[in-house]
Amino acid sequence: MRLVERRTIQDFDWVLLGLAGALLALGLVNLVSATHPGEPLVLSDGVRRQLMALGLSLTVLVAILFVDYRHFERLALPLYFASAALLVATLLFAPVTRGAQAWLFEGRFQPSEYAKIALVLAMAATFARYPAGEITKLRQLGLPCLLVALPVGLIVLQKDMGVALLTLLVGASYLPLVRIPGRSWVALGGFGVAAVALIWRFGLAAYQKQRIFDFIDPSRDPLSSGYQAMQSRIAVGSGGLFGMGWTEGTQTQLRFLPTQHTDFVFSVLAEEWGFVGSALVLGLYLAMLLWGLWIARNAKDNFGMMLAIGLVGTLFWPAAMNVAMVLGLAPVIGVPLPFFSYGGSALLAACISLGLLLNVSMRRYVY
Amino acid sequence: MIGPGERDHRIHAGPDPVVESRIIWLAAGLVVFFGILGLRLFVLQIVDGADLLDRSVRNSVRTERVEAPRGDIVDREGRLLATTRPAYRVSVIPSELANPEKTWVMLGALLDLDPAAVAERVGTPSGRDRFRPIVIAEDLDRAALARVEAHRHALPGVVTDSRPRRLYLDGPGAAHLLGSIGEIGARQLETLRAQGYQPGDIVGQAGLEAGFETHLRGRTGGRNRVVDVHGREVEILDEIDAIPGGRLVLSLDLDLQRAAVEAFQEGASEAAPRAGAVVVLDPRNGDVLALVSQPGYDPNLFAGGIDAAAWSALRDDSGKPLQNRALAGQYAPGSTYKAVVAAAALETPGFDAEKTTFCPGYFRLGTHVYRCWKRKGHGAVDLAKALLRSCDVYFYRLGLELGIDRIAAVARRLGLGEPTGIELANEKSGLVPSREWKRRNRNASWQKGETVLASIGQGFNLVTPIQLAVAYAAIANGGERVVPRLVDRLETWDGRVIRRIPSRVDGIAGFDPEQIGVLTDALVQAVQGPTGTGARARVPGVQVAGKTGTTQVVSLDAVEKFAAGEIPMRLRDHALFVAFAPAEAPEIVVAVVVEHGESGGRTAAPIARAVLERYFEKHGRPASAGGEKLATR
Repeated sequence: MRLVERRTIQDFDWVLLGLAGALLALGLVNLVSATHPGEPLVLSDGVRRQLMALGLSLTVLVAILFVDYRHFERLALPLYFASAALLVATLLFAPVTRGAQAWLFEGRFQPSEYAKIALVLAMAATFARYPAGEITKLRQLGLPCLLVALPVGLIVLQKDMGVALLTLLVGASYLPLVRIPGRSWVALGGFGVAAVALIWRFGLAAYQKQRIFDFIDPSRDPLSSGYQAMQSRIAVGSGGLFGMGWTEGTQTQLRFLPTQHTDFVFSVLAEEWGFVGSALVLGLYLAMLLWGLWIARNAKDNFGMMLAIGLVGTLFWPAAMNVAMVLGLAPVIGVPLPFFSYGGSALLAACISLGLLLNVSMRRYVY
Repeated sequence: MIGPGERDHRIHAGPDPVVESRIIWLAAGLVVFFGILGLRLFVLQIVDGADLLDRSVRNSVRTERVEAPRGDIVDREGRLLATTRPAYRVSVIPSELANPEKTWVMLGALLDLDPAAVAERVGTPSGRDRFRPIVIAEDLDRAALARVEAHRHALPGVVTDSRPRRLYLDGPGAAHLLGSIGEIGARQLETLRAQGYQPGDIVGQAGLEAGFETHLRGRTGGRNRVVDVHGREVEILDEIDAIPGGRLVLSLDLDLQRAAVEAFQEGASEAAPRAGAVVVLDPRNGDVLALVSQPGYDPNLFAGGIDAAAWSALRDDSGKPLQNRALAGQYAPGSTYKAVVAAAALETPGFDAEKTTFCPGYFRLGTHVYRCWKRKGHGAVDLAKALLRSCDVYFYRLGLELGIDRIAAVARRLGLGEPTGIELANEKSGLVPSREWKRRNRNASWQKGETVLASIGQGFNLVTPIQLAVAYAAIANGGERVVPRLVDRLETWDGRVIRRIPSRVDGIAGFDPEQIGVLTDALVQAVQGPTGTGARARVPGVQVAGKTGTTQVVSLDAVEKFAAGEIPMRLRDHALFVAFAPAEAPEIVVAVVVEHGESGGRTAAPIARAVLERYFEKHGRPASAGGEKLATR
């Protein structure tokens, strides 16, 4: 038995790989500037670690390609519960760092990054069995809602509100696909408002509420949490049309930007590459995500289609939330930018999503 | 290859057609969302770009002031009285600390501080405060600085720098004339803000430091530094150098100043500290050669910002060390005033200096008896003898003959009763009593008995030591009332002369030379004569003219119940002495006041002698001085 059918190799999705590869490359170049101000030729420890994480991530990506995605349909629920178990373990064993309790193995492993993917697998498997297009009643959404609620609830307990919100949005990505009547949408909306009110009352720490106030009016206290958002906008704005040039951004190189190599890495790009560079990166993202939907459209089965849609969600929501935050369109929430932010867990998660998408794409004609 | 449908045919179904058709909605959602992001990017980078770029520049360029070192103050021979030295500081920037606990322990060991105290001083600042340096130790010596520098690699977040700091080389010796500096007060800031002063600036608060603030201050420089968010310097964009403050060259002679301080403190003890003042003038031009007020204080205490405890200790000290007694101490002139009364007499038509008066040891006016300081009396005395022996009875009679207004007029012509006009602030006027004065201020008519007391410088009379010096300078120089001149010239920091301060005379006493001659001869007798009260001011080879004064602090009756030598300090008489020399061509006037010094002749005169000796040691004794010849005249 051949390891991979020839057809699969012939149908390999070079477009998606090319788009993602371009983003990965730009992300690394940008990270060099963001982590080693002033000395671009010396690779910082951060960049070294990121390169090692990239090597591991690409290995995992390639390994995923060899396994027909349809096997994951059976593995979906076991993986889903395994990720839930990891989240519980995190709650039990992980120390609290930066207000959240999200990291295992001395901060090297963040289970919530993978919970999204496990959730998508479980959702796709569920919708494969009960096609979304056939869902016409609210109560038929019960099972998918429960699937979303479990990991989101566990991540909320970790006090990692940004990731909890992301996971919720990834799950909600499937909503436009169901055919429920208007009054059910109203009911869902009401449920959503109630949930937001509850989370505001019980779930958010003072500093998180502060961030939301700061988002509404960033100048009210420019020295506190609004400072990051303010500095970020200054950095983005000072990029102008063509930017200050790689490793030349004054805000970046002088470290006025807090967490510039993680959550605010896009502002480094915007300052140094200007509107041209950052619009190009946004364009690459959009092209990659649209291509992901194209893969869903062409998937040969329901599971593959639903999986591809969910995977696009896992890449879209963090990118969208992150850039919106950097541009001052959303409150400051700790969400990394896929392929750009420093961090091994996020990179590995993005590469798994990418690998599964490629997997679905390359097997679109295989039966 | 495992076909999925082999196990479960229901999921072998092809793609859900509804979903397939709705994917376009998702795609549209993506496009809209990225469109919003792109638009926002366009607004921030292209529309608002210039404004935000400007803020980015301001963000990273920090403008800071560079303090100018305050100008030096030097004596007439260029010897430093006040200068500026660098004071090294060690600070901690909390945000850059790698290992706070270790840093506290190391700093404690290097700087001999309690690590807990260092930790407490730094505290746990939050927000932007974490990037601001917190001063741990100020005014370190070079050795301590070197210790910290040597361990810098192990002390991330610890920084050192230096600030100019005032240094007064003579300590308390010239404290009162130099004055002090201190942080600018709220009210001062209001008036000085227009001249570029800012909160926290150090300004002159007293003495010459205050009087010549604008000259000594220099011009603050500025520096635009590009810094990172931690305030670490990346590069210096441009720099405007600070211009050091100008030099102040005084007329003062540090040798005489030191001699005066030393002589003043001789014979003083911890138990009986001496208070008072010494003023030394050049009668020819008003140059202030020495200006001493005792007790003193160390002006260096103020240089680094005086702490509240030290300040209140100084302020509440019963010895009033902060008061400049040379200018603001008002004393009854006592017998030193007799020269003024004599001068008034000498210009009164019909006055005969040779005419004698009999002194029985007391003088009776109406029912009241005024004693002479010598109970047995001086017998028959003329003006010269009366001055020489300081006979009170002679002057009681003389004063009554002249009347208070004639005495007051001459006193005023000699500069008494008004500030002398020296460059220092807070000078007192003293008091020259007259009929007019009493009517105005006491709403009472003048009593004859008051003239009797005024004639020997008691009663209402008050003079400051510097007035006494100016008055005797006018006698010494033939009648010119000079304005004491403490500052000779203003120079730039590198010694170019900006302005010379000319000598000034603000009045002519209008004495005729014969009158001056008689008076001077009598004052020479008072020192050089065999029974002169000022004999202890004699300097070999120099004719010294002078007058002692011993003034009662309380009435004689109050003191008489104590045995001699057992009178409490605060009840003892003040001792005064004023002298000028050489008598034939005076170059120097010395006025000495020793509070509770008991005897002008015994306590104050030796201090004057020490100053005179030092002066003539430096300048040589006058060649023509026939000391013995004059002394026996």
